[in-house]
Amino acid sequence: MKVKKMKDSRLSTIILHNVLIGVIAFIWLIPIVWLVCTSFSAFSGMNTHTFFPEKWSISYYVKLFHPDTVAQFPQWFINTFVVACATCVISTMFVLMVAYATSIMRFPMRKPLMNMAVILNLFPGMLAMIAVYFVLKTFNLTNSYAGLIMVYSASSGLGYLIAKGFFDTVPRALCEAARIDGCSEARIFFQMVIPMSRPIVVYTVISSFLMPWMDFVYAKMILNAGVSSKYTVAIGLYKMLDKQLINDYFTQFCAGGVLVSIPISILFIIMQKFYVEGITGGAVKG
Amino acid sequence: MANRTKGTVAAAVSGFFKAIGGFFSGFGTAVAKGDLFVKLSLLWWGAGYVRRKQYVKAVIMTALEAAAILFTIFFAMDYVPKFGSLGTVQAEKVFNMDTMKSEFNDYDHSFKILLFSLFSFVVWFAAIIVWIKNVINVYKLQKMEENGEHINTFREDMKTYIGERFHITLLTLPVLGIVVFTLIPILLLVFVAFTNYDQNHMPPSQLFSWVGFKNFITLFGGGGLTSTFGYAFVRVLGWTLVWALFSTLTTYIGGILLSLLLNSKKTRMPKFWRFLFVLTIAVPQFVSLLLVRNFFADNGIVNTICDNIGLTGFLNDIGLVGTTYIPFLSAPGWAHVMIIIINIWVGVPYQMLIATGVLMNIPADQLESAKVDGAKPFQIFRKITMPYMLFITGPALVTDFVKNVNNFNVIYLLTQDVYTTTDQAMGNSQAQEVDLLVTWLFRLTQDYYNYKMASVIGIIVFIICAVFTLVAFNFMIKGDKEGTYQ
Repeated sequence: MKVKKMKDSRLSTIILHNVLIGVIAFIWLIPIVWLVCTSFSAFSGMNTHTFFPEKWSISYYVKLFHPDTVAQFPQWFINTFVVACATCVISTMFVLMVAYATSIMRFPMRKPLMNMAVILNLFPGMLAMIAVYFVLKTFNLTNSYAGLIMVYSASSGLGYLIAKGFFDTVPRALCEAARIDGCSEARIFFQMVIPMSRPIVVYTVISSFLMPWMDFVYAKMILNAGVSSKYTVAIGLYKMLDKQLINDYFTQFCAGGVLVSIPISILFIIMQKFYVEGITGGAVKG
Repeated sequence: MANRTKGTVAAAVSGFFKAIGGFFSGFGTAVAKGDLFVKLSLLWWGAGYVRRKQYVKAVIMTALEAAAILFTIFFAMDYVPKFGSLGTVQAEKVFNMDTMKSEFNDYDHSFKILLFSLFSFVVWFAAIIVWIKNVINVYKLQKMEENGEHINTFREDMKTYIGERFHITLLTLPVLGIVVFTLIPILLLVFVAFTNYDQNHMPPSQLFSWVGFKNFITLFGGGGLTSTFGYAFVRVLGWTLVWALFSTLTTYIGGILLSLLLNSKKTRMPKFWRFLFVLTIAVPQFVSLLLVRNFFADNGIVNTICDNIGLTGFLNDIGLVGTTYIPFLSAPGWAHVMIIIINIWVGVPYQMLIATGVLMNIPADQLESAKVDGAKPFQIFRKITMPYMLFITGPALVTDFVKNVNNFNVIYLLTQDVYTTTDQAMGNSQAQEVDLLVTWLFRLTQDYYNYKMASVIGIIVFIICAVFTLVAFNFMIKGDKEGTYQ
């Protein structure tokens, strides 16, 4: 009798517990659900009367692939993809190079350089970027992808700490053994440490690839006066919500938002596993 | 991250100067004790290498020296002499009798003078380092020769760049990128803060010049009766700090609570729930925040619902709302609260992810023994989980605060084009009640070309972040418990 009672109360707390989580998750998902639902609306503007669209259709997804002067989604997608690929290659290289040099190698300037990085990281990236904007403007590099790629990737070396935390876990004895066997540092880097560090390489690649997709500020700054066909997805979608355009393009904005979110979400969900490992793993080891 | 960031900030400056000290003493010894060729390398960079038969290196160093000299004569000298005045010749159209067209005169471009002078300073600085380093190296070669050691051939020297000097190969490009795209811009920004570079002094058509601390005085309330920068600055700074504090604390606490909830043994399908929460942050912020902004628009869906259930009427009656809609994001007070609430929605899943990782790493034996000793779940949370969390995430909490001081996205995407200030004094300085220092600065540069004030604000932001970080880390180091959890 007593046992059964205990079981009952446990069952009810479990149900309560899960219902609570369900309610929180529900609140968190409302905007996402609204995004998806609205993207299937048959009405071009914002629906202000009901949560769900009154008439459903996929016409605005179709429209997305028939560009007009305002909305050139396929072009934006390609633009962002090109910028993202270039950024990804440069940033990944820079981050891994700096992380390896500061983690595995020992040289006199190591500490001073790392200290400089700490100080520089205190400067908000935005501030440097505003000055970079002056400079790019002087050289007429605003409204160009070259400028944008440089802004995204040139200083990426400063974000080396997570990768360094991972490299710190590579057993020193292994590197020593390789050195004694006459391996050059370059070979240790390329043929030993990199293959051993697949998780952090994946994390770095994905996170630097995602940067141009997620970013809004720098693109807004650099592509400020550009023409629609040169925008990235973020700027293009943002411009759709201009006061004059929102009534014609809101549903299309939602459709575009859904389409761009799908690949990003997949990559993000793959990445977050490594994100947690990278941050906390490094922290625990100190 | 705990121990790594801790201390380095405080040690950064002293360690840096110590390294510089060692560098110069090495140079002194080299000059004093070096032979003729070492001393000659002070003038001709390649001299010492010629003496030790490293001819390729001699050629490279000579070429570098020539490049530095040519750079100085043909580039730097065009700009650096004008650095003191930032140019004196205003751009004018003059009629050219030869071509029968009106053309621009040979005018000074203040910004180019500033930028290229700064660039020249950096190049010269690098050249001096190379010059000193070169003498030290040459002296080292002399020592090696005296001791009868083997002196590397050029090929062997090159090989060291993938061997023991591989770090130079690795670091050159990234450091160059950081110097050009972070260090020089920051220095430039600092210089601009002391000029009058704004919409009335825009190169190339106009010149700007040094004004000393005038812009700082303007920001702190001086600058004449018409200036409202002092007023706006205090309000914006206040909101920035309030925002940073609340957004950091709410998401931090929310994240820990959510992760405790999700990681409890009672949770069914924890992976599924976690997936749902991660999904909300996987959608890019410019999509989700722009959407939420329209969700809460003055004529948006939430307002319709509130109107239908009579909430708007009720708020009207008790005097909280003076309009026929609820101004979620368009009136001060309402907007401030809504922004923090919406930020909870954005930030909690992130913190949940981090907290989950940390919770999983809590030493299991501590939890076990606490349970055996009969500790209640709440006691365990207060005595073990929470101190552990704070220990690991303490430094991250500090960086989060700094990040939130600079949290551009949330504020800009939620309020740009939606919020218009009704405060005349704020409007005169192009500020809004919901602005952070960074969004204000962004608007000043992007829409009003007021670069001088933007630069001053930028410096203030840095000082706030730096002071806060130093104080916080110092405080943490005092209560150092590094060994506690190892």
